[in-house]
Amino acid sequence: MVFPKTPMAQLPTGRDRIEELRMVGITKRFPGVLANDRVDFDVRAGEIHALLGENGAGKSTLMRQLCGLYKPDADEIHLNGALRHFNSPADSIHAGIGMIHQHFMLVPALTVAENVALGLSSSRGPLLDLDRVSKRIDELGKRYSLKVQPDAQVWQLSVGEQQRVEILKALYRGAALLALDEPTAVLTPQEVGELFKVLRQMAADGHALIFISHKLHEIIDVSQRVTVMRDGRVVSTHPTAGSTRAQLASEMVGRPVILEYEKKPYAPPVVGEAPRLEVDDLWVRGDRGRDALRGVSLEVHAGEILGIAGVSGNGQRELAEALTGLRPVAKGHVRVNGRDLTHASPLQRIAAGQSAIPEERMKDGVVKDFSVAENLILQDHGHAPFSRGGFMDPTAITRESAALVKGFNVKTPTLDTPTKNLSGGNIQKLILARELSRKPAVLICAQPSRGVDIGATEYIHQRLLEQRERGMATLLISEDLDELLALSDRIGVMYEGRLMAVMDRAEATLARLGLLMAGVSS
Amino acid sequence: MPSASNDGAFSQSMFDALKAVQASMGGEAGMKLAVSEGMVQVPNAAAAIRDYAQQGYDLVIAHGTQYGNSLQEIAKDFPNIAFAWGTATDTFADKGIKNVFAYNPRAQEGGYALGVLAAKLSKSGIIGVCGPVEAGDAKTYVDGFKKGVTDTKKDAKVNVVYTGSFSDVSLMAAAAETHSKAGADVLTGSSQAVVGAIGVAKDKKAIWLGTQALQTALAPDTVGASQVYDFSGVVKEMLALSAKGTKGGTAFELSLKTGGLKIVYNDKLSIPADAKAAVDAAMKGIIDGTIKPLP
Amino acid sequence: MNELFTLPVLLGVLYSGVRLATPYLYAALGEMFAQRSGVVNLGVDGIMLMGAFTAFFIVTNTGSLALGMLGAMLIGLLMGLLMSFVSVNLRAVQGISGIGLYLFGLGLSSLLFKRLLGSTKAIDGFQAIPIPFLSDLPYVGDVFFKHNALVYVAFALVPVAAFVLNRTTLGLKIRAAGMKPEAADSLGVSVAGVRYFCVCLGGVMAGVAGASLSIGLINLFQENMTSGLGFIAVALVYFGGWTPVGVMVGALLFSMVNAFQLWVQVKDILPSSYRDFVVMLPYVLTIVALVFGRRARQPTALSKPFSRGEN
Repeated sequence: MVFPKTPMAQLPTGRDRIEELRMVGITKRFPGVLANDRVDFDVRAGEIHALLGENGAGKSTLMRQLCGLYKPDADEIHLNGALRHFNSPADSIHAGIGMIHQHFMLVPALTVAENVALGLSSSRGPLLDLDRVSKRIDELGKRYSLKVQPDAQVWQLSVGEQQRVEILKALYRGAALLALDEPTAVLTPQEVGELFKVLRQMAADGHALIFISHKLHEIIDVSQRVTVMRDGRVVSTHPTAGSTRAQLASEMVGRPVILEYEKKPYAPPVVGEAPRLEVDDLWVRGDRGRDALRGVSLEVHAGEILGIAGVSGNGQRELAEALTGLRPVAKGHVRVNGRDLTHASPLQRIAAGQSAIPEERMKDGVVKDFSVAENLILQDHGHAPFSRGGFMDPTAITRESAALVKGFNVKTPTLDTPTKNLSGGNIQKLILARELSRKPAVLICAQPSRGVDIGATEYIHQRLLEQRERGMATLLISEDLDELLALSDRIGVMYEGRLMAVMDRAEATLARLGLLMAGVSS
Repeated sequence: MPSASNDGAFSQSMFDALKAVQASMGGEAGMKLAVSEGMVQVPNAAAAIRDYAQQGYDLVIAHGTQYGNSLQEIAKDFPNIAFAWGTATDTFADKGIKNVFAYNPRAQEGGYALGVLAAKLSKSGIIGVCGPVEAGDAKTYVDGFKKGVTDTKKDAKVNVVYTGSFSDVSLMAAAAETHSKAGADVLTGSSQAVVGAIGVAKDKKAIWLGTQALQTALAPDTVGASQVYDFSGVVKEMLALSAKGTKGGTAFELSLKTGGLKIVYNDKLSIPADAKAAVDAAMKGIIDGTIKPLP
Repeated sequence: MNELFTLPVLLGVLYSGVRLATPYLYAALGEMFAQRSGVVNLGVDGIMLMGAFTAFFIVTNTGSLALGMLGAMLIGLLMGLLMSFVSVNLRAVQGISGIGLYLFGLGLSSLLFKRLLGSTKAIDGFQAIPIPFLSDLPYVGDVFFKHNALVYVAFALVPVAAFVLNRTTLGLKIRAAGMKPEAADSLGVSVAGVRYFCVCLGGVMAGVAGASLSIGLINLFQENMTSGLGFIAVALVYFGGWTPVGVMVGALLFSMVNAFQLWVQVKDILPSSYRDFVVMLPYVLTIVALVFGRRARQPTALSKPFSRGEN
């Protein structure tokens, strides 16, 4: 007798499908924060369900409970109708749940096959069976168009390839439900396109997919349903079809949001006018002693924003560090307002009229244990009005910093609050206040909106544009193409330590930038 | 003391002497004895010296050349306490300090005597010496030993190794190993690290000649004889002087003549009579001055 | 100078080198496992002292070398458990807790020695076992095949350690725990379990290393008889780039330099004023090892306590 089988009851990997996962009333409290407040969330086989929210809205916390990394304070997780508890990642993996973390959980010094085999029992008992693992990786790779070399070491792979390894790792373990936390943050536009193809194919095969992002157009592009979270709570869950970016953005922030800025038209520099910032054939070594910058030349003129795009790790960080005096220059020249500052100290650069917004704001931007007021005067504390004859003047410090906090809309309980207690957006506004109040001629600005909420991002962008009109020359290094396209007058793309091309904003399309970011120059 | 009181060498020689003196004075009741051992760090030793002085001990002994500078400082602050140190010959009298004794074993004397014995016992004519650092009584012992060998047997070869450490037991073992490989069948050495060498000597069936303390017990089948430092006479003398009000100023020499140095044979090993006779003759020569143990 | 390069001397240096390398090899291989899993155990020297004493004490009383060895391994395991508990569960700063473990071992072994034995007396330790046929080979036989069992086992452990690290599922977990514990954890590997295992294994090996001194090479016990040997073993792990073969090369190089300086003195080859430089050689080598150790392959999570959800 033959038992009839429900069509598609099994996945191509041979695992049973997860028809429905329901999380009901999930609550998770951290000291002082209610990270998840009675959250309901569900996902079904065959769908891509997007989870949208700003940094700190509670998306990652929710997912960490799903994959057994955190234990919920109050929870009810139903899998195919049955109540389940996940006390460890092993439990969750065993139940068929796979998680692709935003920061990859890969061991760089191991091979792809070793990363996949890690923690699994082997067909040869205590001995590794990497040959079999490699074969299976090839099979899965073919099925889902996820091509990787099983014997390549992970550190040698591009970010996109590493992500494929992460997905393969989950599929290899028989994941029927896959949660991807900000999977597109580090990808080029082309790689995003490829990833979406893979996700759609997996959904069509009967996998259940959770797609976590704060990028509105991607959510509209790939998901069938969307759940919006704000301050630890679910704001709404609805089908994606018919939603607009503006609608999703206002749900996420809780008020209407401006997505396009009004911007004075770009005036090309007057012929013969000297640029504010000149970089000529710059060579700089990276942390590992290899050349991180290989002959970068660029110019930024007064009243201009030059955007630098590129996949993380192609020399952008080293460029910013070299230009702010934090990394020695091996070869080449840097001039600010015509003065040679190639080997100048950070202090000399400040004196020459240059300001900087560093990428690592908690490390290079503020002293996190200092108060708000102390951080605001960090660079100017050595002279009037903040100190006289070596003594600090508390009255002047309070007066000036109060004005800056007000002027730049920094939300802080008091001026004496330790800076580390502020949110990312407010810390960034504090840095902006300190750096821009000096009315610099040149600004080196790296990743200004990374980890910053939409409201603060909007504010920061407005301020940068304001300074542009005042005549400041801005070098804007960002991995967020939307940000670059919204602000820049010209855009250059960095690839493997070289500046591939610099083009006017009008010529910069996503497709063209994406190709350049992948190193394709024609 | 720089090492443990049962190190079978330098520290133990003093500890045994103190115990003997204590016993002769009526045990715990007659003499109060306190010992800080394993004082590798000089500052720790200095603190201990100061503590003892403050507690009012009649005699405070700093058993180690390395403690001299600290002692000099501390002695000034306690003019009514008698101090002693060694191995040394300087009582700091020229610096105006009157309450420090010094003691110095003339290790070369027993060294010479054991050298004579080694020359008589060695069949291969190759003798190995394992020294720690080329200084203090280790150096005088080794120099005396060498002269003893070559005065007795002109063509005998004495190989000398200094390991550079008073405490590295395994390196000392390696030194003995090396000597053995180079053909030595009689070995000697100085410092508390020689237990390593003695273990190897036992393994290689070589004869070991000890110094500082009686080392027979470490390896009863291996140790042929030991030069023993007997500090008890010196300690008694210092206590007597101190009781009479003389708190320092004398530099004592331990020698074969005064009985502060002794050669003790291991009865379990049969030492040929002619060898013993040669050693006796050498000791007599040293005592009456006809033999100079140092080159 | 020419006398140095005669065959007997060179063979002597090689033989002594192999023999001297043995305690380093046990201690450093064990420490390598601990470090590959992400824990620096600076207490190796203390464990060695306890191992050396335990083995010596048992052999003195029972005459059984096997029991002595077993006792040393057991005491090494216990001290490994203590180190694991402090560094994995209590998340202590490993450098400090390791020094604490060292001082503990140093003090306890001295105390027990005084209380239980009082004085030391040489024992009959492991005897050399010439390997049939191989030991008859010219030159090579003398250098490599006329040692005691502990020496052979130490060198046999090198390929075993390499195999375990590179070819087994356990080895894969160890490597991952030392390089990216959060990745291992996210795949259901118990990082704490792996680290416990490796630190305890390191403890057992350090116990054996101590026993190899007191009942293998020297056959006596003395307080602080290792005199810092365990710390050099830790340095050798860095020098060897965290690989078994690298550790072995380092141990051999270090002990051969030591053997070399002894031979230079025995043969009275250099004028005595240059001797101090020769005596200095092993220590110079230690510093060179630490400065030029192949940092690139250092386990990236070395000495970082791990707890879930913190990154």
